[in-house]
Amino acid sequence: MFSLFYGLWQYMFSKLELHVLILGIDKAGKTTLLEKIKSVYTNIEGLPPDRIVPTVGLNIGRIEVANRKLVFWDLGGQPGLRSIWEKYYEEAHAVVFVVDASSPSRFEDAKSALEKVLRHEDLKGAPLLILANKQDLPEAVSADELAQYLDLKKLDERVYMFESVSAYDGLGIRESAEWLVEVMERSKRTEMLRLRAGAMGPGST
Amino acid sequence: MGLVFTRLFSFFGNKEARILVLGLDNAGKTTILYRLQMGEVVSTIPTIGFNVETVQYNNIKFQVWDLGGQTSIRPYWRCYFPNTQAIIYVVDSSDTDRLVIAREEFHAILEEEELKGAVVLIFANKQDLPGALDDAAVTEALELHKIKNRQWSIFKTSAIKGEGLFEGLDWLSNTLKSGGG
Repeated sequence: MFSLFYGLWQYMFSKLELHVLILGIDKAGKTTLLEKIKSVYTNIEGLPPDRIVPTVGLNIGRIEVANRKLVFWDLGGQPGLRSIWEKYYEEAHAVVFVVDASSPSRFEDAKSALEKVLRHEDLKGAPLLILANKQDLPEAVSADELAQYLDLKKLDERVYMFESVSAYDGLGIRESAEWLVEVMERSKRTEMLRLRAGAMGPGST
Repeated sequence: MGLVFTRLFSFFGNKEARILVLGLDNAGKTTILYRLQMGEVVSTIPTIGFNVETVQYNNIKFQVWDLGGQTSIRPYWRCYFPNTQAIIYVVDSSDTDRLVIAREEFHAILEEEELKGAVVLIFANKQDLPGALDDAAVTEALELHKIKNRQWSIFKTSAIKGEGLFEGLDWLSNTLKSGGG
């Protein structure tokens, strides 16, 4: 009997969409990342990088990884648009923070934007993936070096990882998506969001 | 400009497509259509009494009407919903008094079942006028963040000067090409 319920529970969980918020300052490569994720995991060919314009709004990518439905929300990163980020926090299961690892002059800006994100109550317990993007460029620093530059405090109680990626050539994309699925499945926050969705009845998202 | 359009929207093939251009009266919708010079704007007032302007560009129909006002005719709007790939919502960014109505009408139309799959492009229009709100402020006023299940983007435009329109349409065609909402 237990296994029946457990199986049902598992089944329902697999139907549940997991929301991943892609954040980062402008020119970090968020939309290029999203398009790359889409082309790696779906048969939709993502937009080529040279066709991507600065985002002033919301881009969405839906993919399936290890039988889990993931929905990526990619929001614009220009300073005037960052105020909208927090409106998406409450429903996010995890956060991907993208940093242009080839542009040290903007690390300070990225750091303060990220710190603000992490302080927000609505993102409590959300797993965090920090991407050192643009590894295709020779001047890009590695994930470890970026971690030192950002020197984030109080990360201990949060599940997090730094990863070197290139949204341009696809380096580290699968590793990133797989890590996200794994940590989201185990996170208390996912459980909390799932219970809330359940309490609101079927059909609500 | 016709060429730009061919390039932008060629991916529809021969499939019939519809793009709705909506907003309150006086937002600048018709001016935008004329600016784009896609072809002759045909205005029809059916017997049910609401005015729909149509521009046919190859297989894409751009259809325009005013939101707001009479509730009795609203059910008839639905005749124009099937096969809609995108909604272009035009706002008069300088008409701050009516932004609340613009917001309500906008979210009401997004609730329509047959429009659930349409991506949304917002034109924060009349940027040439003094006191016009910028894109971030219009985003806030329209509560665009409530849209979580479809892609959206906002552009500052001046239909009179022809600014921002093609940038917006470029986004639209890219988005539709890469799989839409």
